[in-house]
Amino acid sequence: MAEPIIRFEGVSKSFGEQVVLRDLSLDVAPGEFLTIIGRSGCGKTTALRLVNGLLSPDAGRVLVQGKDVAQTDPVALRRGIGYAIQSVGLFPHLTVEKNIAYVPSISGLEGWKGKERREKAEALLRRVGLEPELAGRYPRSLSGGQRQRVGIARALAAGPEILLMDEPFGAVDEITRGQLQDELLCLHQASGITVLFVTHDIGEALKLGTRTLVLEAGEVQQYAPPSEILSGPATPFVEELVCRSRQFQARA
Amino acid sequence: MELLQEIFSLYAQRSDWFLELLASHMALALSAIAMSGTLGLLLGVLISELPRLAPPVMGVCNVLYTVPAISLLGILIPFTGIGDKTAVIALTIYGVMPMVRNTYVGLTSLDPDILEAARGMGSTRVQLLLRVKLPMAAGVILAGLRNTVVMTISVAGIASFVGAGGLGVAIYRGITIYNPAMTAAGSVLIALLAFLCDLALGALERYFKKRGSP
Repeated sequence: MAEPIIRFEGVSKSFGEQVVLRDLSLDVAPGEFLTIIGRSGCGKTTALRLVNGLLSPDAGRVLVQGKDVAQTDPVALRRGIGYAIQSVGLFPHLTVEKNIAYVPSISGLEGWKGKERREKAEALLRRVGLEPELAGRYPRSLSGGQRQRVGIARALAAGPEILLMDEPFGAVDEITRGQLQDELLCLHQASGITVLFVTHDIGEALKLGTRTLVLEAGEVQQYAPPSEILSGPATPFVEELVCRSRQFQARA
Repeated sequence: MELLQEIFSLYAQRSDWFLELLASHMALALSAIAMSGTLGLLLGVLISELPRLAPPVMGVCNVLYTVPAISLLGILIPFTGIGDKTAVIALTIYGVMPMVRNTYVGLTSLDPDILEAARGMGSTRVQLLLRVKLPMAAGVILAGLRNTVVMTISVAGIASFVGAGGLGVAIYRGITIYNPAMTAAGSVLIALLAFLCDLALGALERYFKKRGSP
């Protein structure tokens, strides 16, 4: 395995009495599409928020590109990591174009002014499968699926090497979700970006991931490519999880 | 009807005087609004960033707000004398409360998901405040400003009791020389001024509320 781009070293995290992550160790290779699956409260979102320093571990270290997150400037770190969440969190007072240009703008990147900004925003809109004409619209006039796409375009704007996604397709309808998944797969194949993708949908996790991490009660149940998870579930929990998905596939 | 006629003939006969009073009334109100608006906005931002300070600051503002305007003017006389200065100080103290309250409420009731996204993308604290929080809270803050403006314009009517200018001079003179038309003439202009400002700021507020809502 190449030098890991993200590494968890014996990471534990609790909120009050509740232990959310227990001694998690994990290496993620560059270009990997890691899907993290588990029930609500299993620590998957926490794991994601440890990577961009929105949370800090109680014990252990998280390394991004070889550097301890606790020792890096969180602002600079986050600007280099794309971040897309389920509720998207588009800024209602900014146009789609300005939403997309937010990270380049706060980072003071060159070439994100006036006409150049418009062109780059339109190019990003095309990349996520949207009409470039949407650039001048406000988020409130977009559909749920369009907002998700704009959120992804915004996360990609500054050209990050890592993309963190927290159930980004949780709030859209089944058909749109399928489309978004396919587009994200293409995007990942074309760009070689490292993706950490949190979901509670096993079908989605197995479809998108080059590796899948199954978490339960803050502990790793299995960390393997999806085909291995399907053929050889490591624990009864994983067995049950994929069983349900096999049934689902058989019916379809 | 007779009163109405008298008012209009007063406006016609003494238009210069009323215009002068109107101008000084606006100057008085505007200086107080500029100060209370700025002070209120800064205090509101401060207590939303440092929530520990919120209860004491809001408490003091609330207490000051409950002091009747006329007694606030009276209390200030020994310290700042009589005239426009005392009136502006009293009006500023009075107008701060709605601004502080609305700024604080506006900044602390924003969608947490949007703030999470903004933080997660690497905004500094200042960027978060200037680029995300304040623009999104602009509608609520403007509602506070509107409140302050209307109140300051109307309360400025009693500033003449401490020797300040403004349309209160006409009201007070009307009372002392028993000329109800003159009192009414001053009052009508104050009401009109407050009403027009309210309309204009109301339109602005609706625009910003629409812009800031998802």
